[in-house]
Amino acid sequence: MDFLELVNFYIIPGLVIGSIYALGAVGITLVFAILRYAHLAHGDLATLGAFLALAVVTGFGISPLAALPIAILGTAAVAVGIDKVFYEHLRERPKIVTVMASLGIALMVRAVVQVIWGVDSESYVKGIVRPDVYFGLRIRDREIYTVIAMIALVGVLQVFLTQSKWGKAMRAMSDNPNLALLSGIDNKKVVMLTWIIAGGLCAAAGVFLGINTELKSMMGWNMLLPMFAAAILGGVGRVEGAVLGGLIVGVAEELSVLVLPSEYKAATAFAILLFMLLVRPTGLLRGKVL
Amino acid sequence: MKLKMLAIAGGLLAATALSTAGAKADVKIGLLGGVSGPIAAMAPAMIDAAQLAISQVNDQGGILDGETLVGVVGDSACNPQGGTDAATKAVNIEGVTAIVGPHCSGAVLAAAGSVTVPAGVTMVTPSGTSPEITGLDDNGMVFRTVPSDDYQGRALARTLREQGYEKVAVAYINNDYGTGLANAFKGEFEAQGGQIAGFAAHEDGKASYRSNLADLSSGGADTLVIFDYGDGTGLTILRQALENGFFERFVGGDGMKSDAVINELGTENLADYFASSPVGEASNALDTFNAAFTAVGGDPDAIFVTTSYDAAFMLALAIEKAGGDKAKVAESLREISNGEGEAILPGEWAKAKKLIDEGKAIDYKGAAGDHNFDVNGDVPGTFALFEVGAEGYEVVTNMK
Repeated sequence: MDFLELVNFYIIPGLVIGSIYALGAVGITLVFAILRYAHLAHGDLATLGAFLALAVVTGFGISPLAALPIAILGTAAVAVGIDKVFYEHLRERPKIVTVMASLGIALMVRAVVQVIWGVDSESYVKGIVRPDVYFGLRIRDREIYTVIAMIALVGVLQVFLTQSKWGKAMRAMSDNPNLALLSGIDNKKVVMLTWIIAGGLCAAAGVFLGINTELKSMMGWNMLLPMFAAAILGGVGRVEGAVLGGLIVGVAEELSVLVLPSEYKAATAFAILLFMLLVRPTGLLRGKVL
Repeated sequence: MKLKMLAIAGGLLAATALSTAGAKADVKIGLLGGVSGPIAAMAPAMIDAAQLAISQVNDQGGILDGETLVGVVGDSACNPQGGTDAATKAVNIEGVTAIVGPHCSGAVLAAAGSVTVPAGVTMVTPSGTSPEITGLDDNGMVFRTVPSDDYQGRALARTLREQGYEKVAVAYINNDYGTGLANAFKGEFEAQGGQIAGFAAHEDGKASYRSNLADLSSGGADTLVIFDYGDGTGLTILRQALENGFFERFVGGDGMKSDAVINELGTENLADYFASSPVGEASNALDTFNAAFTAVGGDPDAIFVTTSYDAAFMLALAIEKAGGDKAKVAESLREISNGEGEAILPGEWAKAKKLIDEGKAIDYKGAAGDHNFDVNGDVPGTFALFEVGAEGYEVVTNMK
């Protein structure tokens, strides 16, 4: 196997799927950092976002990329709504209660998607798109969009977190909730902001997964494990760590086919997750929470 | 206030329960299918076909002493857990007399092993095709109206060899269905002098299979044989293989003969795509079924509708023959279709019921075949290879 083949069929798909994992992992890591629990409905929120975009695409006949902002807003609103209706009542209870509740939310969100859009595979645009060749590299235009959009979204988020007043408030909540509350930070606004960002990133992950493959009602749930592996690998609470983790998990999954029988590909993320928890539970970039 | 509402709701519920209890008891059969999951696109037509058999029974005087036959639909989700859950609910809560389904082999094996065989409920799957089901230790309670993949895999291998395919790669889904079909295909293809240049299982539900495909194509095969579901991972694999030009030709098993493939990828991209599937042999019985199913708005060419219909109709006959006794259904199922007695065509419920009541032997001739079960509850079958034409799937050749 030559170098180009390795890049074309293993590294590039790995980076693309890794970017999608990264978008989800950033949301998981933020929820973990600020609210301190594992949010298991994350994958199904991504499914919802993808299908919201499908509704816009079929309803208005625009491209999925143009539908992305609407899907992001819609999913962010749903995420905030779910928090208000369900998670808020559990805030003072042990965190495991909320984790279990989020599993229930995952099933509910998926059921809603299945009721509205059915259980068949869908796609934004029918037919197939063959890749363009750049200097021997086979890349589809949508793969470029996916990686660029991920970098742009995370870049904006990073600037927001480090530069703006509310971003700083979120980081303060993550570092020390009690101190943050004492210094007058509005807990409720920070929580709401967290859900807006997490929900929006979920939608982006779902839409890009849908653009690159198909839309299925189980698409998000199947991504949950790799996304968690990415968040933990990068260090829980670190946005840049989640991006790094996502890319590593994505590429590792694809490369695993070279050494392992291909039926074990799905287990790669799980193996990475276990290995990191055993060897370096704080993650590559020294996460702040775990 | 809340309590009061609850009390009212409870009272209403009790009232409806009482009013139905006054009528004659219904005979229930479970219709377990992959309503959600990777064969979700196929399941509705299959369940409709089974419901057609049930409505024919009820239109022609009902079952036993004029009781109503009721089909209880359950979602087996095309996986072992879903199959077990749905079967448990059907057997323990609904109290079904027999079960049509589940649709997927893994679900059949799990439901049979943990629920229906211990409970003594007869099960007829219209689409569980894994060779594993043949050898299942089931006290003779698991049947199928669809031929085993052992036949299909070998027939497909012979047909491809006849058409001049020399070197193929095989990608199969890592479950009972994919593994059974792939192994049957591989054995026969190699025995016929063909070469398998890549043979790999894959897990369901990943977003990218390009590395798997690169690995499979590295053996130099120009044809990819896919044993997967065309509404699930199989679609993703086919799409990525087409987009990246890994192979020139594609051949799928019965699971790949899904409309989702045509709808999502487009007819123009599928000129080199073929799929095999069991077909009903041309017969009076098939024509009768086709006419009846078309009349209720069904598509008689949809996959597994004939086997689903036969499974439901035969179970109704067997329940009638057994006098409603759950324990005798399996035995009766063999008796109503063993090649001896007066021929019964699809829909001939009143005639069959009369003969059974008179104690005469009947022999059901189904839409999908004669269904004379062998000792394992299997039936032989006929298959055809399909291509994608303007009107959907069209027969290329019959497979032997």
